[in-house]
Amino acid sequence: MTHGYTTGTGPEPAGPYGPYGTPHAGDPTGAAGMPYAVPRQRTAEPAPAPDPAAAPAAPEKPGRDRYLDLLRSIALVRVVVYHLFGWAWLTVLFPSMGVMFALAGSLMARSLNRPAVSVVRGRLRRLLPPLWAFAAVVLTMMFLNGWNPAKDPDHGDTWGLIGLFNYLVPIGAPPYPWHIGSPSGLLEDTWAVQAAGPLWYLRAYLWFVLASPLLLWLFRRAPWPTLLAPLGLTAVVGTGLVTIPGETGNAVTDFAVYGGCWVLGFAHQEGLLKQIPRYVSVSCASLVMAFGLWWASNHLGPDGWDLNDIPLAQATWSFGFVVILLQYSPSWRELPGRLKRWDRLVTLSNNRAVTIYLWHNLLIMATIPIVDLLYRLPFMQSERGVEALSSTYTIWMFALVWPLIGLMVLAVGWVEDLAAKRRPRLWPNGAKRSAGRRSGRTGAAHRG
Amino acid sequence: MASRTHRRGAARPARGGSPRRRLPLRLLLPLLVLVALAAMLMLRGYVHSEILADHRVQSPAPTDRVPEEILEGGPVIDARAGRTESLSVPDQRLVLTFDDGPDPTWTPRVLDVLKKHDAHAVFFVTGTMASRYPDLVKRMVDEGHEIGLHTFNHPDLSLQSKKRIDWELSQNQLAITGAAGIRTSLFRPPYSSFAGAMDNKTWPVTQYIGSRGYLTVVNNTDSEDWKRPGVDEIIRRATPENGEGAIVLMHDSGGDRSQTVAALDRFLPDLKERGYEFDNLTEALDAPSAHSPVTGADLWKGKAWIFLVQASEKITDVLVVGLAIIGTLVIGRFVLMLLLSGAHARRVRRKGFRWGPPVTEPVTVLVPAYNEAKCIENTVRSLMASDHPIEILVIDDGSTDGTARIVESLGLPNVRVIRQLNAGKPAALNRGLANARHDIVVMMDGDTVFEPSTVRELVQPFGDPRVGAVAGNAKVGNKDSLIGAWQHIEYVMGFNLDRRMYDVLGCMPTIPGAVGAFRRSALEPIGGMSDDTLAEDTDVTMALHRAGWRVVYAENARAWTEAPETVQQLWSQRYRWSYGTMQAIWKHRRAVIEKGPSGRFGRVGLPFVSLFMVLAPLLAPLIDVFLVYGLVFGPTEKTIVAWLGVLAIQAVCAAYAFRLDRERMTHLISLPLQQILYRQLMYVVLLQSWITALTGGRLRWQKLRRTGVVEAPGGSVPRQRSQSSDDRRPVA
Repeated sequence: MTHGYTTGTGPEPAGPYGPYGTPHAGDPTGAAGMPYAVPRQRTAEPAPAPDPAAAPAAPEKPGRDRYLDLLRSIALVRVVVYHLFGWAWLTVLFPSMGVMFALAGSLMARSLNRPAVSVVRGRLRRLLPPLWAFAAVVLTMMFLNGWNPAKDPDHGDTWGLIGLFNYLVPIGAPPYPWHIGSPSGLLEDTWAVQAAGPLWYLRAYLWFVLASPLLLWLFRRAPWPTLLAPLGLTAVVGTGLVTIPGETGNAVTDFAVYGGCWVLGFAHQEGLLKQIPRYVSVSCASLVMAFGLWWASNHLGPDGWDLNDIPLAQATWSFGFVVILLQYSPSWRELPGRLKRWDRLVTLSNNRAVTIYLWHNLLIMATIPIVDLLYRLPFMQSERGVEALSSTYTIWMFALVWPLIGLMVLAVGWVEDLAAKRRPRLWPNGAKRSAGRRSGRTGAAHRG
Repeated sequence: MASRTHRRGAARPARGGSPRRRLPLRLLLPLLVLVALAAMLMLRGYVHSEILADHRVQSPAPTDRVPEEILEGGPVIDARAGRTESLSVPDQRLVLTFDDGPDPTWTPRVLDVLKKHDAHAVFFVTGTMASRYPDLVKRMVDEGHEIGLHTFNHPDLSLQSKKRIDWELSQNQLAITGAAGIRTSLFRPPYSSFAGAMDNKTWPVTQYIGSRGYLTVVNNTDSEDWKRPGVDEIIRRATPENGEGAIVLMHDSGGDRSQTVAALDRFLPDLKERGYEFDNLTEALDAPSAHSPVTGADLWKGKAWIFLVQASEKITDVLVVGLAIIGTLVIGRFVLMLLLSGAHARRVRRKGFRWGPPVTEPVTVLVPAYNEAKCIENTVRSLMASDHPIEILVIDDGSTDGTARIVESLGLPNVRVIRQLNAGKPAALNRGLANARHDIVVMMDGDTVFEPSTVRELVQPFGDPRVGAVAGNAKVGNKDSLIGAWQHIEYVMGFNLDRRMYDVLGCMPTIPGAVGAFRRSALEPIGGMSDDTLAEDTDVTMALHRAGWRVVYAENARAWTEAPETVQQLWSQRYRWSYGTMQAIWKHRRAVIEKGPSGRFGRVGLPFVSLFMVLAPLLAPLIDVFLVYGLVFGPTEKTIVAWLGVLAIQAVCAAYAFRLDRERMTHLISLPLQQILYRQLMYVVLLQSWITALTGGRLRWQKLRRTGVVEAPGGSVPRQRSQSSDDRRPVA
């Protein structure tokens, strides 16, 4: 049991995924200018997507691999932090996206022991309702702000309308306005970009889910070529060697960049990684990672070492990183030692991964008008007060976003349970009875 | 380094928990040294503008928000306390200004020329240069020149925050205070030129700096000497028209300034003849001096700063020398190792090579065992397959896991079990020696597996009557894990090449506990094994050398041993080895001055072993220190290339060693990672041993946790365990 999960992640493990926000959609330039006090948001960031499907597994049941759960939680937190602070080095420190896709791929491979059609349908069923809840809110806000997709300059007329279908089934990136409302409004005029940005992850996840039966078939016949092909594809489409224009190009690039990680999930599940002596896999993985760093150093993007802007570096670094993480996968039945105190939070974030992922970027935007209220406080009127607040602005955003995420989990998290055909739960952190609820919640607020 | 296998210590109960309290100190000391070293290197990088340097320059901006009187006015801008005034230098007076210094080569020559012509000037010094060459700043002040601020490391201030501007000024001031004990109120912004060149970006900076109490000094004539246009051109550009007063911009730093010096030497007398005076700024303006003495805490802060910077410069120089030494040692050792081990291999593999008459007499194999229940059966069964007649003595050192019973229940002929109360490995070996029936005694560990030919190969060198002991070839059995692969490389490359080299040099320091053979007649006079040190195998080997015996290496006597699988186990094993080696060297130190074979060993072998096993590793961290420094402060690319070059040399050596040992090369793929993860562990352990030795700390260790990975060879090589690796993983 060197790896994988041990017994089950629950009745029906679904692919973990995390949607990340990405701004590839549409405009290559990325987010429009932000107000000075706020650090630029990454729209195109890989946030680890929580996996809607994995989450459904009942947390309390023995048999969940808590190591994988922990990885998913770390990935999720890293995404939120990255989107908030915009620190490029976080993408090197922990390639959340790759980890999330690998976990999802592993679960997918396991599920595919059952008939493929029902597995894919099950995945979609778990994925889509939370998306619909999100889309309903975001689209309502956009339309109320006067956005007309048929007249949006960035999306053609009819195509804009057809593109709206992607809010129902994210087979492509859904359209959204680059500027909406006024810059002086409550939210910045780029809020739609920020809110919808993470949806690229859903698209990528959907592509992987649909491709998985074929990928797994290929993998079982020719494991090594299937494992390495995505890296090769990235080298072709992610380096400018071949450029596929438009949204399709983004989708293909994402597929290539994270395809390696997804298939690694297969390899983990199928026991391929176990067959390789550890010194070989770890040494080779670190060589691949070294290549990724070297490539990145020669192709620094607008934000420097932000691997999200450097497809080949992202693909190789994530690949190597995931190999090492999965190679050492210790299959914990429960979190060991000091990690134990994070148990409830890990459980909660795994159960609500999709919700957290979908909503976090919008909630980050929502912290701004709230933090701005501080400027109105009587004792904040001095120049020093204003300066102190401005210089610590993101910290306040950071402190505030977690309670907001907690509220959102309470408000719409239950949709995930419905999607998984389970009894809706308000705060599934694995604690017995409602006594746990309060403590879990404050915990969430404090954690970062 | 010599390899031995793990040995167990007597299971002494830990006393009163005091070792626990000591441990942090031992960790703390190396950590402190490392932090101090890092801080010093950071400081050096900082004053060499390798960090925080910002070479961007603002592009020209409109000038509509700069007051007319400034644009039209003189080069001395007074924006203090809300003023907006310009001052000009009176006619027939010249203020020479030198930017960017002091420079160790050119500034003294500029000062010499000024002194020769009795001229005063203003030096706008940067904080970095002033910190590095404080004596020159002092000399400027002493010779009547004025000092001005030119920021700490010369960024374009119009691109910087107010905080950074404040910091640039105060750090610059701190360096000047430390060097000359004064503060100055003059300032010149980097990349500045004439007053008329003020624009909307630079003027606010000037205003801000004025609000901090500084006079901003730009210039009237720019010699552009940094372009090295020739002496005549410098003079032409510097000379004002019609006897007007002027502030002249020159540079005493930033490259070859010989033209500047030569120009000064002509310019000064020429203009003096035309009636010019060369004053410093406040003399020219008839104003009170810009310098004010500093006393008290600020002065000491400045002096402390200068002291630290000077120390960092010197430490860096020392480190570079250290790096050169370690580089020479490492490469020298590689070359020596390759040459000598090649010679050794050629010698013992020559056709018809023999140590002497074949040794066919039966031998005794001693297997000391302490809680080896998991491994002992494999060990004993591997011996039963031996193709040399042997008697097996298993000495159970008070095991609590039934080790002895397991052996007895095997019911094998020629196997005797001797039990003793727990007394440690040396005592167990001595007891075995006392009970051995044959003159030649093979010693092995309870977790080691022999090949059928191991014993035979191991004892053949005793055909030479001068040979008193033989070292076998210990190999790592569990080499599929990462840490196992690293140790495998280390065993094959370090230990086995080393052993060939030491064999040729006649100073083998250690016979591995996992596989070695002795003449009982050699051991008895020196009292058998001793528990004076933690490395009884090194101790006894040195004692044999001193007694005049030859100790040789039998490459074909392979023994497969289970290497530690966790960092913690590896740490305690290596800690014992390195500390034990130090103890053994210290114990036998008198050999240096003795006569006969003992003296030969003391004057050749002992220094050699000390140099490579105890002293050289002390310098090993320098490689990593400079790697990190080079990566962070640059030149990054060259650093990486150099590091890869060293790696390539090691890879070549390792490949050669693997070839000599007929090992598969695949494990070499973990060599790069070994260099950035494993090597550090090894020298940190050695540093800790040093600290233990110097502080007289006591050593405590635990027995390795055995898992029985290494099995009796069905063929010649023990099977790797492939399946049950999870019981050794940290599964909570």
